[in-house]
Amino acid sequence: MTENWKNEAWADDIWYRGKVTRRRLIGWGAGAVGAAMLVPAPWRAAFGAAKPYKVGSEQPLSGAGAAGGKTAVVGLQMAADRINANGGINGRPVELVIVDDESSPAVARQKTVKMINDDDIDVHVGGFLSNICLACMPVWQDAKIVNMITVCLDTTLTTSACNRYSFRLHDYAPAQAVAFAPTLVKMAKKWHIAFADYSWGQSTRDAYANEIKKNGGEVVGTTGIPLGTADMAPFLSKISGDFDGLFAIFFGKDGVTLANQAYDMGLSKKYKFAGDGSISESTNLIAIGNKLDGFTAINRYIPVFDGALNTPYLHHFFDEAKKRLAKVDPSGPLPDKYVQSNYEALNAMKIAMEKCKFDSRDDTMKLIEALEGLEVKESDDFPQGDKTLRKEDHQAFIREFIFTIGNGTYHLQEIVPKEKTYVPPACKFQAA
Amino acid sequence: MTTVPLEKVRPLGKARLSHTAVFWIGFCAIMALLIVAPLVLPEFWRRFLTEILIWGLLAMSSDLLIGYTGMISFGHSAFFGLGMYGAAGALIAHSPPNLWLALFFGLAGAAGAALFVAFFSTRLRDIYFAITTLIFSQIFYVIIFTWTPVTGGENGLIFSRPHLWLPFLYDARFTSTTMHWFVLAVVAASYLFLRRITQSPFGMVLQSIRENEARTRAIGYAVERYKMVSVMFSGLFAGLAGVLYALQNQFAAPDFVYFLTSGDTVIYNVMGGIGTLVGPIVGAGFFQLVRDLLSRFFGDQFPYLIPLGMIFIVMIIFLPQGLLGFARRWLNK
Repeated sequence: MTENWKNEAWADDIWYRGKVTRRRLIGWGAGAVGAAMLVPAPWRAAFGAAKPYKVGSEQPLSGAGAAGGKTAVVGLQMAADRINANGGINGRPVELVIVDDESSPAVARQKTVKMINDDDIDVHVGGFLSNICLACMPVWQDAKIVNMITVCLDTTLTTSACNRYSFRLHDYAPAQAVAFAPTLVKMAKKWHIAFADYSWGQSTRDAYANEIKKNGGEVVGTTGIPLGTADMAPFLSKISGDFDGLFAIFFGKDGVTLANQAYDMGLSKKYKFAGDGSISESTNLIAIGNKLDGFTAINRYIPVFDGALNTPYLHHFFDEAKKRLAKVDPSGPLPDKYVQSNYEALNAMKIAMEKCKFDSRDDTMKLIEALEGLEVKESDDFPQGDKTLRKEDHQAFIREFIFTIGNGTYHLQEIVPKEKTYVPPACKFQAA
Repeated sequence: MTTVPLEKVRPLGKARLSHTAVFWIGFCAIMALLIVAPLVLPEFWRRFLTEILIWGLLAMSSDLLIGYTGMISFGHSAFFGLGMYGAAGALIAHSPPNLWLALFFGLAGAAGAALFVAFFSTRLRDIYFAITTLIFSQIFYVIIFTWTPVTGGENGLIFSRPHLWLPFLYDARFTSTTMHWFVLAVVAASYLFLRRITQSPFGMVLQSIRENEARTRAIGYAVERYKMVSVMFSGLFAGLAGVLYALQNQFAAPDFVYFLTSGDTVIYNVMGGIGTLVGPIVGAGFFQLVRDLLSRFFGDQFPYLIPLGMIFIVMIIFLPQGLLGFARRWLNK
């Protein structure tokens, strides 16, 4: 009976009038597929769901750099959400593909290849640890993908190891040294430099030693302390001699150790105490307390609104970042330069992608040309301030903030405009 | 008096022949699969497979010590790293970069380190040997990490990849496929060489040292010399793995000289099967694959080391002979 339902009178309408037969189904289906293939691409882009831009980002979410990596992701996510809420890039949404490089260059290399081949990313915005940035730069070059570095500080990224595909929208040690040295020499003529004894510390030491000398000062001695030294007393106890200022170059927990032990040993009271802003990052200040009072430093971002920093842009950025950071870290740290540089790097990428009407990786050369020499103005996209992304070495020049620490908080002393941080380019690109 | 019928002897000869034949058939089949693999695999998996072969070679080199001589080494990261830095130095110093020069300097670096470590550590046994090799590897690590002008310090060294240059025969840029074939050729040749060593009288003495060092010495073998040569061979092949890694990835970093790399090598051995040569390659592949699959299925931030550690513990309890040992036992049932 069930076999013969088509013979029933009631079935006439739905069967023999022939709404759905296998032959018709196949015919209509083939027609629809064919029509879809013939519809021009602009129509599909305009009326179909826009294909997102895939932005890869390598960050250390575990291992030695995990704490910083997690705050870096906050900045990136904040920028992506804001871009998507405002209509995306060229009308297409942004999709972040964030991978954990585990703070290891070997893992980073594997995951970079995975992002390129499996995830099919369009551009890369990320990179936290310099050794990982350096290890992955040839991969981005080989794959012809634009790599916007967001945190890595090593000088060589935009000098001896530079390549046409990698850009850095934040500062580097030579520029900071140029900006800070005049102040340092006013503070004291003779300096001793204590530094984290590895490549970043060493290159930063050299940059400051040069600039202090150029400005009429003198570096009378240096002390290298191995990375991760828990007890720095044996090294700090040897720091003595004829000098007036102690300059420190450390970051992360080494910065906390240095600040605490230099205070306990009376060094920070005995000498004028200055150093790299990474020591006094807001996440470190919680652990250091008031022991860093009197410390003078330079940084591209500090979470205060003194004088010229009392801008709506910085307020918007601060409020949103603080809210998001509290979700990641219940201790509620204030935004730092890692959040800032990731946030601004993705915004800069957006501007360049719109400028060159970037569609896919095939447009990489157009994107490179759009980024080269890019000038951006202080705004909600770039709360830190104006920036110039120099064509010759893909290094950005930005304003710098010199500040002192008092009562465990920042006090802005001086804003050094970006024009006063220029360093001649030292990069030769190979043919792209 | 017992007599052995003639027909009973023949099958024994046949069995021996078939065992060799089975080995070569299996070897050729696996080689054929590995040769074809890069032609069908997507780019990521192609490179992934090449890296497994490189880590497998490192693990296989340490198997000569762990599995055949009975000496657990935590110094293989130093040999691997010096092979890598030796190759890096040659590739940076010589323009245009030369493949054979990189191989030569990489092997020379690893051999030098192996000789140094072997000279001081082979007089020691068991845990004392293991600790000494660990300390030596850490010394090399600290030197590489802090000697920035030469080694690049924490940042390591980046360099261009040389051409695949076979004099008078072939000269072309490496592609991921030709790199895979080159690595495969080196790893296969290394395996055959190490297999020959372990089956030679020299290899038998090594196994005798593993079983009973005092008795081996008592019957007149210069045990220290055998152990030194074993460490040197092992270090040389670990260095070769380092050279291959440098060629594949175009960078050398101090992280690879850190003792954790040696720890991974021991884990590959235990997982794959100690004293089998092929087992460590299987172990390296298993470890890398599980790690990748866990982060694919559970997300990139999944703490894969916890399940991997649990798998490792389960394997030690239930498969103490490793994956290859288990497979052998299962096949022989």
